Amino acid sequence: MNRSSNNFPENPEIEREAANWAIRFDRGLTAEEQDAYSQWLAEDSRHRDAIALYRWGWDEFDRLAGLQTTHHAQIDPDLLAPGNRFARKSRLVKGLFAAIPLAASIAIMVMVFWPDSTPKQTPFASKAAVELIARIEQKILDDGSVIELNRGAVVETHYTPEFRRVTLVRGEANFEVAKDPDRPFVVNVAGVDVQAVGTQFNVRLINDTVDVIVSEGVVSVSAKELLRKGDVAIDEPLLEVGHRAVMKLGDTARLDVTVLSASEMDRELGWQPRLMDFDDVRMTEIVAAFNRSNEVQLVLGDASLKEMQLSYSFWSDNVEGFVRLMESSFSMRAEWQGSSEIVLRDASGNSL
Amino acid sequence: MPPQDSEQARWFVEEVLPHEKELRAWLRARFPGAGDVDDLVQEAFTRLLKAHDSGPVVNPRAYLFVITRNMALNQLRHLRYERPPNAEEVDPLSIADDVNSPPESIAKKEELQQLIKAIQSLPNRCRQVMTLRKIYGLSQKEVADRLGISVHTVETQGSIGLRKCIEYFRCHGYLAHFET
Repeated sequence: MNRSSNNFPENPEIEREAANWAIRFDRGLTAEEQDAYSQWLAEDSRHRDAIALYRWGWDEFDRLAGLQTTHHAQIDPDLLAPGNRFARKSRLVKGLFAAIPLAASIAIMVMVFWPDSTPKQTPFASKAAVELIARIEQKILDDGSVIELNRGAVVETHYTPEFRRVTLVRGEANFEVAKDPDRPFVVNVAGVDVQAVGTQFNVRLINDTVDVIVSEGVVSVSAKELLRKGDVAIDEPLLEVGHRAVMKLGDTARLDVTVLSASEMDRELGWQPRLMDFDDVRMTEIVAAFNRSNEVQLVLGDASLKEMQLSYSFWSDNVEGFVRLMESSFSMRAEWQGSSEIVLRDASGNSL
Repeated sequence: MPPQDSEQARWFVEEVLPHEKELRAWLRARFPGAGDVDDLVQEAFTRLLKAHDSGPVVNPRAYLFVITRNMALNQLRHLRYERPPNAEEVDPLSIADDVNSPPESIAKKEELQQLIKAIQSLPNRCRQVMTLRKIYGLSQKEVADRLGISVHTVETQGSIGLRKCIEYFRCHGYLAHFET
């Protein structure tokens, strides 16, 4: 062992590249990458030192391979999460080897449509712009649960030692719940309690109808709050995978459970933003992909942009991020046309 | 490659060699196109011995399977062979082994604790990627499928994670283990 490495010149750019190469090396270089790598090494003697350090660092973590390996243990990406109850103990490692199921997180998706707050036609451009700019936010709760808030969504959390309650006030949210059988996680939406039992499910409120779809595990739906007001009897079923419960609110409250086919499930749950990978894709196709998933439509204002090709990954709902990138890195200018159209123009001066 | 001292030799015979047969069979079944099995196994043993020589290894069996699989995938990519179907979908549980699960004491060792803490210190996505790649030995593709993100993102997050881990090493004296 020696400490010569501590003299390693720290250079953020070189280190960033070294980290990239170390990772690519690990998964195997393509022929083209092999050439680029040789070139990069030759450029600067510091590159050689940096890649040695980073490849060593990456390989060091192989020492942890099989840290948790029993046939009973599930693969848990959050094995080492700060919110993981095992990680919270100072004696972390004790927990790691206990052969009890680890905190596999449960994901819950909840969506609410408020009929009166999302009119089809947005009257002012500023409104659409605000909605665009309010992007998905992530909230990490004390217990390690993660809530992703879609544009404009509002949640309130009420945590007690016995209960984890979240009220979806408006909008659309995705819950990743840290598993804790002793402390149920309940989402309250318009007076209806939706409770996770190791589960993934979707909830939607539209026109006085609560709509629950279960895509994994079991969900209980309870409308006690509503029942106190009226005197309508509703069964409170446990819903299983593929079940859809539609609950009419109001005086004639009733609940119907149906079973969805796989393709119906896909269609109903397809609202979540997707990551779109573009690899040398023409701008016309990229713009079309965004336009299919968003109300705000992009238009290419100059023919010179149409043939441009791009490799990048975007979330399907991140129109704003895409537009900003086009402005900052690809010499374009964005113009709002009315409330729901953005025209991209070539600002490089080459178009004329 | 023969182990230097008697303790190392004992460890090799007791903890490593018993997995050789299974490793070979698994390698032949999973990566028929990935070159010489003997070479891969030999290289895996060499690396494991070197790692064991320079610090603790949590689970020699898992280490062998993970690095051998990585080498095999690496070769396939490099040789531009048609990837055999399911080559990326190694059942991670084939690495698991109840009989030989690691003794609890080993993960308490200082070096391993530092590695664990380095991963714990990462932002969520990075941490998940590092955990799945390194503790469960999943490929980038498997990690992408499991987390519902793109392979590109897995690679980017891995790179960010590695950089932050090196930074952690720097701040916590772990770089002393790095021999140039």
